[in-house]
Amino acid sequence: MNWIAVGLKQDLPLGVVIPSRIEDTELAIWRSASGEVRAWSDRCPHRGMRLSHGFVRGNALSCIYHGWQYSENGSCAYIPAHPKLTPPDTICVPTYDCAETDGVIWAALQKPLGAPPAVSSRRPVRSMPVARSARAIAAYFNAPQSTFLEIGSDFDVALALQPCTAAHCVVHALAARGADRKAVSRWLEALRSDLEESAP
Amino acid sequence: MTAATDNHWYPVAMVSGIDAPRETWLLGKKITLGRDNGACWVRDAAGNPLTVTERFGHLWTSPGQPNRALFTIPEADTPGRRLVDVGSVRVKCSPLRAVENFLDIAHFPFVHTDILGAEPHTEVDRYDVRIAEDVDEVWATKVKFFQPQAAKSASGGITTEYMYRVPAPTCAVLYKTCPPRPGEWDIITLFVQPLTEEWCEVWPWMALYDDASTMAEMVSFQQLIFMQDRSILENQIPRKLPLDPGMEVPTQADMTSVAYRRWLKKIGYTYGAQLVAA
Repeated sequence: MNWIAVGLKQDLPLGVVIPSRIEDTELAIWRSASGEVRAWSDRCPHRGMRLSHGFVRGNALSCIYHGWQYSENGSCAYIPAHPKLTPPDTICVPTYDCAETDGVIWAALQKPLGAPPAVSSRRPVRSMPVARSARAIAAYFNAPQSTFLEIGSDFDVALALQPCTAAHCVVHALAARGADRKAVSRWLEALRSDLEESAP
Repeated sequence: MTAATDNHWYPVAMVSGIDAPRETWLLGKKITLGRDNGACWVRDAAGNPLTVTERFGHLWTSPGQPNRALFTIPEADTPGRRLVDVGSVRVKCSPLRAVENFLDIAHFPFVHTDILGAEPHTEVDRYDVRIAEDVDEVWATKVKFFQPQAAKSASGGITTEYMYRVPAPTCAVLYKTCPPRPGEWDIITLFVQPLTEEWCEVWPWMALYDDASTMAEMVSFQQLIFMQDRSILENQIPRKLPLDPGMEVPTQADMTSVAYRRWLKKIGYTYGAQLVAA
C-alpha cells in the first residue's frame, strides 16, 4: 500500500484533530497552529486513549485523558502531572508519512514510493462514506488494484479511495475546477446508491 | 471462567430498584434477579439459586463460593451520613478499566475540568501505595489534589485529600476530604458489575456528610462526573486492561494503577484483562 487519501484540507482547519483510518490502522490526523498536517497512530502510549479526542495547542497535540503533550515528531514533550520532568525519548506516538497536495491529505503506512497521485487541474469536492470495500469500488471501475480512480464524466471526476473495513470505505471526490459542486455531489450520491445496491 | 473470578462478590442491582424479576448479565452469563416476600434472590441461567447478600444499598451475588464475606466499610455506618444510591451506567469497557480510572487523579483537570481539577493545578505529588497483605487490598494514602469544586457541598477551590482502597477486583472505595466537616471523610464508591470482559454496569454509591444538597443534586453531580469518565472509558484501546508492562507507559502519578494491575496479576484475576501485547 502507498499514499492513501485520509481527508480533505477543507475539513481540517488549523488546530483541529480528527479520527481516520487505513484498514485496521486507526489514525489521528491533525493540523498544527502553523498549518502542518500530521498522521499519527490514534492511541496515546500512556493509557491507550484515542488521540483523535485530544486537543491541539500551538504545534503540539495533547491527549484529552491526562493532557500528555506530543510535539510534531511524535515524542512526548510534557506530562502535566509532573511539570518538572523531562519525558524520556522512549515515550512517543508512532507517526506516519503525511502529505498535503492540492487540498487532499494523504498518509502512507509504509515508506511511500514517490509523490502522492497528481490530481491535475481538479479540486476536492467532498468526502463520502460508502458501505462497500475500496477493492469492490475499484473493481466496479475495472481498476482492481487502484486507490486513485480517474473516472472522467462531465465533471472530470477522480475518486481517491480510503480503505476502512471489508464492508466500508471513504471516497474522497475531486472534480474539474469549474464544475458545479451540487451537481457533482448529486452524481456521487447516485454512484453510492449504485455501489451499495450492487453489493452481493 | 476460573475460581479466581467466580469466588468474588459482585453488585447486580440497587436493592431499592428491585421489583419484578429481571435478567441481567454477570461474567458473560445470563442471570435473573428478583424479590419474594421481601427477600432478594438471584438465579443462574439454569435456574439454580446463587448466594446473595444486601449491603451498601446494593444486591450482591457470586457465581462461585466466595472465600470470604463481602468487604465492609465501617466508616459508612457513622450517624449523620446520607447514603446515596446513584443508579447505574453501562459502559463499553473492561470492568477493570472502569476501576482503574476511578483510582486516577491526574485526569481531573482534563476530563472533569473546573470541577475536580483545573489547569494549571495539574501536578500530582508523591503519595503512598501499598498492598495491605493482612486484608489483601490495595491502598493509596496521602493523595492530595487541588479541586475547584470537590463536591456538591464545596464552595470554591480546596486542596482535597484522598485515600483509595481496592477491596475487591471490581470495587473501589474513595475516602475524601469532606468540605462541610473537616476531619471527616466523605465516602464514594464504585461498584462494578462485569457483564462481559468488555462491557460493564457501574453502580456508584456514596455516604456523605451534606445537609444542604437535595438527593437529586447529589445524584446528578456524581452522574455528571461519571458521564465525563465514560467518554474516556469507551475510547481506550484496547478495551481490556493490559496487565503486562510494555503496552502502556505509567509514571509516578500512576502508582495506584500500577499496584492495582500488579495485585490483579498476583491474585490471578484476569477477567477483563489483556495478558499479551496485541
